[in-house]
Amino acid sequence: MPEDIADIYRSTYRALVRFLYRKVWDAERAEDLAQEAFARALVHKPENARGWLFVVAANMARDEARRAARERRHLTLLKSEPETVRSSPEEEIDADTTRTRVRAALDELTPRDREALLLWDAGMSYDEIAAQTGLARGAIGTTLARARRRLVEAYDAAIEGGGGGQHVAHR
Amino acid sequence: MSHIDEGALHAYLDGELASTERKTLEAHVAECPACGARLAEERALVKRASQLLGLAQPLERPAPPLHQLRQPRLMWRLRMPLAWAASIVLAVSLGYYLRDPRSGMVTQPASSTVATADDRAMSAAAEEKAAAPRERRQLNQSNRLNDALTGGAVGKTSTDSHARHTTPTSPPAAGVVAARPPASLRNAEPVPAVVPNAAEPAARAEADLSMLRGRLVATEWPVISREPARRILGAEPVGVPGLPVRDIRRSPAGDGTVLVEQQLDAATVIQLFQRPATAERAAYTAPAPMRLDRSSGAREYAAADRLARFVGALRVEIAGPLSQDSLNRLLEQVKPLP
Repeated sequence: MPEDIADIYRSTYRALVRFLYRKVWDAERAEDLAQEAFARALVHKPENARGWLFVVAANMARDEARRAARERRHLTLLKSEPETVRSSPEEEIDADTTRTRVRAALDELTPRDREALLLWDAGMSYDEIAAQTGLARGAIGTTLARARRRLVEAYDAAIEGGGGGQHVAHR
Repeated sequence: MSHIDEGALHAYLDGELASTERKTLEAHVAECPACGARLAEERALVKRASQLLGLAQPLERPAPPLHQLRQPRLMWRLRMPLAWAASIVLAVSLGYYLRDPRSGMVTQPASSTVATADDRAMSAAAEEKAAAPRERRQLNQSNRLNDALTGGAVGKTSTDSHARHTTPTSPPAAGVVAARPPASLRNAEPVPAVVPNAAEPAARAEADLSMLRGRLVATEWPVISREPARRILGAEPVGVPGLPVRDIRRSPAGDGTVLVEQQLDAATVIQLFQRPATAERAAYTAPAPMRLDRSSGAREYAAADRLARFVGALRVEIAGPLSQDSLNRLLEQVKPLP
């Protein structure tokens, strides 16, 4: 139903962009893909539009990654966000560095753990994550615990290895 | 009771435990200092992981209205009659301009030294200046894409040259700019790349018309699969590497032309018209005449306003809602589809 999609669009668009951004690492591309997913939803009118959108978005992001790999080109355009306005070049460099570290830390996760974590962060419930990933619902807590621990450890290791001056608060 | 596993602790912290399980867990934690300490640790971990993910998110921009996601197609349908009228007016103007021997429209082969990278950059600068914000975003996307495809070489050249020539001392060759192919393509026989030497509004209208024509073609040309396209061309159809192929179409006139449409982004499609080169080479030794008749299929979009080059055994023209410079750079990337 278009009405339902309109509601979902309002509540989920940002989350879908965020989810895609952490896969393609290009803000404009993430927005384009999210809008493409919603445009498809308007045509297909799926029953469970929210879950459907994330499945379609994940597939589109995967296709992008495959294409990039095939072309042996990096579509990582972390610095090409002209709309990003920051108060100083130092802050911009810091933000880029931090984002790069988080990205590298996410890359340390297994694909399934990473998917579960990104879906959770995008606002999906355990039931929805289970349906999306094929994991048992009872395994989602353990999967997220492992994913979170690995993310924090990998990030902190990068900070220590890179000699970054940021405060490390945990573990 | 045995200690609580971390999965249950995280499910509890995420608010995903059923009420009975939650009560059981809370009762246990109240009695078990070890599990109480672990719960505090896991809570800190959940918070920290969430903070880290929060550091890697795009700048929040408002979502476009949902109805706009469908708008482009509707808009094009409404504007089609207007597009035809505008294209005829532009074609007549260009035709008149091309016939004037003093206008400086001199066709030169790309292998000559008419256009240097700096000329192209100046041309690009003029076009970017003329571009509306919407087009500029598309141009940026195209440039970013080119950067991605070329390791940044093309985009950097353009940007650097642009910076050096904010006040150009000599204008680029009037009317026609012969695009110099990249080193890897210089063995291929190039075709003059034509850029009308028009004022800014005309350049803008040109870009719009190019897009409008594309939409018209897309509705009239039958979609075919890869194999028939290969048969028609006698070679693999070509495209810009890294871009998804939206459709492959054939000319309704049966003149051996195949159209490959590729998605540059969610809202932008570029079109690559291609046909066997053998029959066309002779025709391009002289400037192509502007054709106005609508009955001749692809030929109505004759070469006066399209960039073209030979790729292997094919002659390829490019069209799309981008500046000529952007289209030219995309055209330089073209090679047989994987």
